[in-house]
Amino acid sequence: MRKRVPATAVAVFLFASAGAVMAQAPPGRGAGGPPPTPQQAAAIDLTGYWVSVIVEDWKWRMVTPKKGVYEAIPLNEAGRKAADTWDPAKDEAAGEQCRAYGAANIMRMPGRLHITWENPSTLKVDTDAGTQTRRFYFGTAPPAGEPSWQGSSVARWEPGPGRGRGTARGGSLKVITTNLKPGYVRKNGAPYSANARVTEYYDINTLPSGDQWLTVTTNVEDQQFFVRHYLTTSDFLKQANATGWNPTPCSSR
Amino acid sequence: MHTANRCVLAALLVTAGALANVLVFAQGPVGPQAAPDIVGEWRLDTAERDTATQAPLGDYTGIPFNDAGRMRSETTPESIWSTAEYQCRPHSAPHQWRGLGGARILAEQDPITRDVTVYHVQFMRSLDRPIFMDGRPHPPAYAPHSWTGFSTGQWIGNTLKVVTTHLKDGYLRRGGPQTTDMYGMTEFITRHDDILSIVTVIDDPLYQDQPYIHSTTYSYDPTLRVPTENCNAPATGETGGSDRHFVPHFLPGSNTAALTEWITAGGLITGQARNLAVAEDWVPLTAARGGVKTLYPEYRSTINGATVDTAKAAALTVPTLKSTVAAAKLIADESPRDGEVHVLPVQGNIYMLVVDGTNVTASVGSEGVALVNTGSLQMVDKVLAAVKQLSALVAARATANACIGATCPGPWGWSSPYMNAVIASPAAPRPIRYIINTSAAPDHTGGNEKLVAAGTGLRAGQLGGAAGNVEGAPVIAHENVLNRMSAPAGKQPPTPEAAWPTATYNDELTKLPTYFNGEGVVVYHEPAANTDGDSIVTFRRSEVISAGNIFSTVSYPIIDIEKGGSVQGVIRGLNHILDLSVAEYRSQGGTWVVPGRGRLSDTADVASYRNMVVIVRDRVQDLIDKKMTLAQIKAARPSLDFDGRYGSTTGPWTTDMFIDAVYRSLQPKK
Repeated sequence: MRKRVPATAVAVFLFASAGAVMAQAPPGRGAGGPPPTPQQAAAIDLTGYWVSVIVEDWKWRMVTPKKGVYEAIPLNEAGRKAADTWDPAKDEAAGEQCRAYGAANIMRMPGRLHITWENPSTLKVDTDAGTQTRRFYFGTAPPAGEPSWQGSSVARWEPGPGRGRGTARGGSLKVITTNLKPGYVRKNGAPYSANARVTEYYDINTLPSGDQWLTVTTNVEDQQFFVRHYLTTSDFLKQANATGWNPTPCSSR
Repeated sequence: MHTANRCVLAALLVTAGALANVLVFAQGPVGPQAAPDIVGEWRLDTAERDTATQAPLGDYTGIPFNDAGRMRSETTPESIWSTAEYQCRPHSAPHQWRGLGGARILAEQDPITRDVTVYHVQFMRSLDRPIFMDGRPHPPAYAPHSWTGFSTGQWIGNTLKVVTTHLKDGYLRRGGPQTTDMYGMTEFITRHDDILSIVTVIDDPLYQDQPYIHSTTYSYDPTLRVPTENCNAPATGETGGSDRHFVPHFLPGSNTAALTEWITAGGLITGQARNLAVAEDWVPLTAARGGVKTLYPEYRSTINGATVDTAKAAALTVPTLKSTVAAAKLIADESPRDGEVHVLPVQGNIYMLVVDGTNVTASVGSEGVALVNTGSLQMVDKVLAAVKQLSALVAARATANACIGATCPGPWGWSSPYMNAVIASPAAPRPIRYIINTSAAPDHTGGNEKLVAAGTGLRAGQLGGAAGNVEGAPVIAHENVLNRMSAPAGKQPPTPEAAWPTATYNDELTKLPTYFNGEGVVVYHEPAANTDGDSIVTFRRSEVISAGNIFSTVSYPIIDIEKGGSVQGVIRGLNHILDLSVAEYRSQGGTWVVPGRGRLSDTADVASYRNMVVIVRDRVQDLIDKKMTLAQIKAARPSLDFDGRYGSTTGPWTTDMFIDAVYRSLQPKK
């Protein structure tokens, strides 16, 4: 009879090796020294203030559409049924007015981001819209607690090509978020479930004007409510300072 | 399993996991060795409606339009697609990544280094779009524009940055929001796993307060086969009944209800491809007009339900992005006034000489040179030098010896040293045989005298002169050109007699008596256009038309009412050019048109210019019908959406003068 490997041992292995998958060797240090931290290894500098520029789906993002307007969202029947029960007053009464501000949709909200390093291996993203905070953990994420609007996010750099050490090669940030509270991908109640998995790619490009432009490609997978993945992009312009930073609470309307 | 064994196994696994961490860290900062592979079949994959579907007429949400861009878009109906010259056009460059059918990316490699030298992007409705990776420069401003433009690429990290210039006018999104032909486009293409993200920066300062930037996503799909959609549209327009020259457009303010129907009515909107399920009445009407302030979060503070506090919105301060497109310079560079002659090969025998603000067309071949126009007097020496050089290169070119010794063909049977001596002493350049003037404008006829003297007439006959070679090239023009350049006996003529046309015609057309350089050359009179003496010249095998002043890419048409010009005549002339032209494929290329001033153009460019003249004429006529005075018409700015592109407030031909000429053209004949 074959011996089964205990589940706890597998979990411990996966947890321990997760660092090998999600953390990575950053540039800038030669062999023999301590590995650079994710902050030191950053392929791109995301820190600072960013303002969203709403050029697409304006009518669904800058203003809240009517109930039942789910065009372009790949909802399945269960998703549509759930969406049709949208009642903002009910959400407010339940203290759930942040449903549209969860990780699957927060980057789509008009507002500003303030991105900082909370510590050398945790990137923190504050949003003024809904006053939300996301934490992107490089390497090993802390044990998941209760599901939350922003869930648990693990991150890794995807550096550009080349073997140069200590030189900025460019690249992207990949973030995977799970352990979410159910929320909305559109403010009018189009739902995602607690099973949703959000994969994001952060890219910074320098515009011809010299301005920095952040594009977040967001892929939401949710077998409970979607027939296929929900893929969008959200764009931000780098700001020199906190001008316009305007924390506002979540609004369900 | 015993507990102890389990503990050992767990410890081993933990150790292995930790070791994996160490190994990865120990690899150092090693990224991929090469740029990501973007070659393959890609499926448009996005959940954003603005991306792929057709926005309703009047939906400019999210677009940083200025007043000119908004006006152009609001007056452009979807039926513009049905005009003959646009029926086969592919999606405009800003929308190409967003059209249905997916994208195929191919790579062309250097055979030695295997570096990618060119990426080719193909869409269902487009031409092959090359992205040059070999470091070549972008063409000069007087080179042609196309639907896909001229693109160069460079990898920056894991992102391919693509810079595109030389684009035709088109639209930002399918269905309405328009662009000029002066916009620049920058794209950033990044592959993430099996997702391709394309960020597109469309910088059109003539129509936008800041660059319009959108992003599009694709998924890798090796099972996809990007189809091609051949165009078999009729060669005549589908609107306007029997009028193949009909230009559909809305007069300003005439279609307000249609522009907002998607907000107020929903349902099946008349004449639109899209069936809205509901009226999108949560969208404020003001916001639907677009504008830079509507793009930023601050704008939300001005919205109350479906209304906007317009005073508050006007007072908003928002971040803005600067344009890096110097449109005025780009337009000027299409016809540079730099005191030089620039030569651009066109097609077949034909070359375009850009001569300090005006164009000369040259047919160059074994029979010699025929020139359409001669440039200004100040430039004549440089024009002559350029023509001689061109003739030597084309018709008497020194080429390397391709054979060795007695194996060489020919009666001599030897190559060296005799052949190399011949190579070193090529034949003399072929002479200027004909000069054709499309008008009497001094910057088209100023070089006549000297170039005539430098030329040699071909033979006797219709064009006069003795049999055999004769001194001086004949000058062909409509007889009204001679009338403008000469004077009745006893009066001082405006130009020296040696510069006058020597072979005039007063019919609808004239021709060179025989083929010249292997093709027929036909000269057509365009009555009452810029003046009463305008001609266009067709080179029938080379498929090139020299348009003279009837067509310009750098200004409104110069209409001299006193000399018999009219806006109606200009439109007739432009329509005639379109009738004689055939696009090669997808509404571009084919017959090339050399304008009197500006860049080398094709059918679609002429159509765009014709449309502009027709639209301005109709707007002025509408205001005349409303009993407005000329001053009131000018104050109404009927050409606002074209002024940045073709207008001027200074110089010899201003917007004011153009509107004046249009107005006078439309007055009843007395």
